[in-house]
Amino acid sequence: MHPDEVTCRQFIELITDYFEDALEPPTLDRVEEHLVMCDWCVTYLEQMQATIAALGELRTEPTHREPEPEVLSALASRGRDRA
Amino acid sequence: MAEALRAGDERAFRALFDRYHQVLWRTARGYVDSDAVAEEIVQETWLAIVRGIDRFEGRSALLTWMFSILLRQAHSHHARERRSLPLSSLSSDAYGEDGCSPDRFQKDDEAWPGHWATPPRPWQKPERRLLSLEAREHLKGALAQLPERQRNVLALRDVDGAPAEEVCTMLGLSPENQRVLLHRGRSRLRAALEEYVDQAGL
Repeated sequence: MHPDEVTCRQFIELITDYFEDALEPPTLDRVEEHLVMCDWCVTYLEQMQATIAALGELRTEPTHREPEPEVLSALASRGRDRA
Repeated sequence: MAEALRAGDERAFRALFDRYHQVLWRTARGYVDSDAVAEEIVQETWLAIVRGIDRFEGRSALLTWMFSILLRQAHSHHARERRSLPLSSLSSDAYGEDGCSPDRFQKDDEAWPGHWATPPRPWQKPERRLLSLEAREHLKGALAQLPERQRNVLALRDVDGAPAEEVCTMLGLSPENQRVLLHRGRSRLRAALEEYVDQAGL
């Protein structure tokens, strides 16, 4: 094994930087070479993508999308104080 | 924007509100047990922002300042609720900050050091949805159990889809720090889902 190859164990620690486009050559090249050769790490990558997508499915919105009256009146009194 | 708030400019305030109410709520939601209490926290935060804008000196970004108020309110509610943190059932907690348990990889005296000893098995995707309702609950539970800063980053980046740069501003993180927290949180959640899939025999 070449000393500058990325191992599976190294790959899983680099995966977030890989997704974030924070890797540069030569590390980026080593990671991509590893993915060509290692089906298991491709599986890991797909699991990570599935996890991220699943988190997106958890998105809900708050029921109220309006500032409460108390907030608006506090804002209004600022305007009055300024005037 | 700070000047507009000081002057009581309602249109400017509403623009700020529309842009950030969601992410403030998402962050607050991680600290308490209900949507409604999270809503309370965020409304209190907006009130504190309007009332306290004179104290904002511009040494940090306005957004960072806003989030610091939110976190203060969230911590206060969390303490008042006296939630006992649920005991983590994740075996992934046993190995600290590694993305995956070191046992899963071959040791230095084995044939391929650093390569998978127990590789990940592909997950079967049930029908069209990525996750069954049960798996989703498991994921929600795992997210809730993450350490605070990891949970906040994941909630903002991956649940709400906020951009990295903005999340750094909101939480006062460097890009590197944010990536580390993102990495650790995602690794734990992947492991949690893997555990679920294995246990469910899928």
